[in-house]
Amino acid sequence: MISVNAKRCQHRSGADHEVIIYENRMETKVKKSYFSRKQLMIPYAVFLCFFVVLPLFVVLYYAFTNGDGNVSIHNFVRFFQNSKAIGTLVYSLAVALLTTLFCLLLAYPAAYFMAKGVFRKNHTFLMLFVLPMWINFTLRITAMKEILSLVEGNLAMHPFLNTIICMVYDFLPFMILPLYNTIVRLDDSLLEAAHDLGATKRQTFFKVVLPLSIPGIISGITMVFLPSMTNYVVLDMVYNSTYIMGSLIGSYFSAYDWHNGSVISIILLVIILLITLISDKFTGQSANERQGGAIL
Amino acid sequence: MKRIKALIACMLLMAVTILPLAGCGAEDSDTIVLRISNWEEYIDEGGWTEEDAIELEDGTVIQPEKSIAEEFEQWYFEKFGQKVKVEYSTFGTNEELYNQMTLGDQYDLVCPSEYMIMKLMTEGYIQPFSQEFMDTSNPDNYYVNGVSPYIRSVFDDLKINGQALSNCAAGYMWGTLGIVYNPDEVTEEEAAHWNLLSSDKFRKQITIKDSVRDAFFAGISILNENQISSSAFTNAADYRDRLSSTLNDTSKETVDAVGDILSGIKDNVYSFETDSGKADMATGKVVANMQWSGDAVYTLNEAEADDLYLCYSAPEESVNLWFDGWCMMKNGIQGDEKKQQAAESFVNYVSMPENAIRNMYYIGYTSVISGGESDQILQYADYCYGADEAEAEEAREKLVEYPLDYFFLGRKNSETGEYTIMTTEDQTRRQLFAQYPTEDVINRSVVMAYFNKEGNERINQMWTDVRCFDLNKVFGF
Repeated sequence: MISVNAKRCQHRSGADHEVIIYENRMETKVKKSYFSRKQLMIPYAVFLCFFVVLPLFVVLYYAFTNGDGNVSIHNFVRFFQNSKAIGTLVYSLAVALLTTLFCLLLAYPAAYFMAKGVFRKNHTFLMLFVLPMWINFTLRITAMKEILSLVEGNLAMHPFLNTIICMVYDFLPFMILPLYNTIVRLDDSLLEAAHDLGATKRQTFFKVVLPLSIPGIISGITMVFLPSMTNYVVLDMVYNSTYIMGSLIGSYFSAYDWHNGSVISIILLVIILLITLISDKFTGQSANERQGGAIL
Repeated sequence: MKRIKALIACMLLMAVTILPLAGCGAEDSDTIVLRISNWEEYIDEGGWTEEDAIELEDGTVIQPEKSIAEEFEQWYFEKFGQKVKVEYSTFGTNEELYNQMTLGDQYDLVCPSEYMIMKLMTEGYIQPFSQEFMDTSNPDNYYVNGVSPYIRSVFDDLKINGQALSNCAAGYMWGTLGIVYNPDEVTEEEAAHWNLLSSDKFRKQITIKDSVRDAFFAGISILNENQISSSAFTNAADYRDRLSSTLNDTSKETVDAVGDILSGIKDNVYSFETDSGKADMATGKVVANMQWSGDAVYTLNEAEADDLYLCYSAPEESVNLWFDGWCMMKNGIQGDEKKQQAAESFVNYVSMPENAIRNMYYIGYTSVISGGESDQILQYADYCYGADEAEAEEAREKLVEYPLDYFFLGRKNSETGEYTIMTTEDQTRRQLFAQYPTEDVINRSVVMAYFNKEGNERINQMWTDVRCFDLNKVFGF
């Protein structure tokens, strides 16, 4: 890569002596660079193998075997036959859907006004939205609980409502940031062109801004929807005694039932894959770039 | 580039300093390494201030500086001329300990609860205690000479495959599972029944333990409340056996019925808690809280410091009697006699009356040790809860006798009145009652057995189903 850069420099610069200077600099750099880019990937690749790929196989192994070590899909069958387990799947989906919906409804206008509207490029404002991310989420939820108990009195009376409120509060920055990043990159000339061609502000928004910000919406959704299906700490903290998928995994593991715990993990994994595949349809070209970020 | 080099140098330096630390376990070969695993915050760690110091009637002052483990190392070396290094680790639940061991962690001495001891015994993990340990003629055998005759009989009566629990486990702490309540909100009568948990009056004002077995016990007591409190049942000659088999029933019909009761409780209670119960009680968010007796003592003490007056009840239907005990692990000891001797000595060391008192003071639970020849344990109970006329008058309480013969002499000799504490009347509902229940409570207590695999899976599944979301609630009506 470095030599290519040097050649580019040669093309740009008219004078020969300048080229020589450039090349000298490059050569010294080549000597001092101990690692090739491929080698720099090794630590992360090792990490990936041991902490992502290998555990995945362990989970797969446990999910498709029974206690005697025989291959079996019995655990999956049992999950889908158990109405209570399905109930918790539906409950988790409901929590995740509502959290995502409210996050989107709150975050989109905020991101839009910070990127293009009245608070355009207002860094203080952006900071205010990102600031909560600097504080550990359990601390934030504890603070939120105090506020909620001032309003509601006994928190245990409305466990579902409180769960949604705290989840939205927890995940809001993860929705705002991708949206802001997408909208702020929209070329202003597109908006001007729409205006020139006679579109009203409303039309400009629905025909230009909204369709172009879909990649941001999708990546925001994936960053909020998936974690909120499993973040059972929030439920514990707001005294919601109903299990979501995350707590179900935890309960099986703590009863040293690796098999059923792994089955739920696999089911979650499949849901994640499905959502990623569906969102690919919407985003087309940029899918590959986004996917990595979404899964992480 | 210089910076990167500096960074790499720093990292290397860190690695170099950390590596020798990791190798610390390799002591010289004549040191025995004793690997002990116990509950979190379940042993005295020393460092007492003068304020903590306990002065017993016989003049003994207890104000330790070092932890029990450290002092044991020193004591063992002075006594046997053998160096021992205690590697002390902790676990949070019985299941966690079991998981650690089945995943390959090796311990020499562990301290699980009764049902886990039974499970480990069934699966052949436990190394039985030696003849020397059981020898009552040796005054250094503090455990066998000091354990409460009542607790000893409980350990003797529990049998796994014909082998008594007392061969494989030495008791450490024991107690009951009861209800801490705020007497301003909940009457003594209301708190005396397990159905307090499902009572409409206290909707969303009670917390219970997020634990399958504890919740199951409350549920099955409610299920059978009429039967087990009827006088025909309680007056029967085989009352205790029948109570035990009724409350340890894991048949499908029973477990399903308990599941229904617990579903109702789930909607009724404030929360299923793991450790917030104490704080929620102290701040007054909840009015009652299902708790183990030792935690109850702690909660009552904490609340008292904030001028909140709480009580403890052991429900009238039945009480869950639990205990934790020391067991030696076969795969840790591996037939090493020296190591086994060290492990058994550790059990004896923590069973010395003074050390039992230290632990009781530090963690709030009740030691199984009654002291044998020494009456220090009674002195300690008297130190904590005893009162005389003047003190009772000052506290505007009646002075009452609180007999504890069953604990110190065994249930057969429980009417001598030799071991009686004079205390204020409120203590019969408070810390003393939590720490040393009355014989009435003992009479209706049940040890929750280790369920067989099928029964265990059934109650675990029931618990998961209770906690899962019931779709019928949305679509059913």
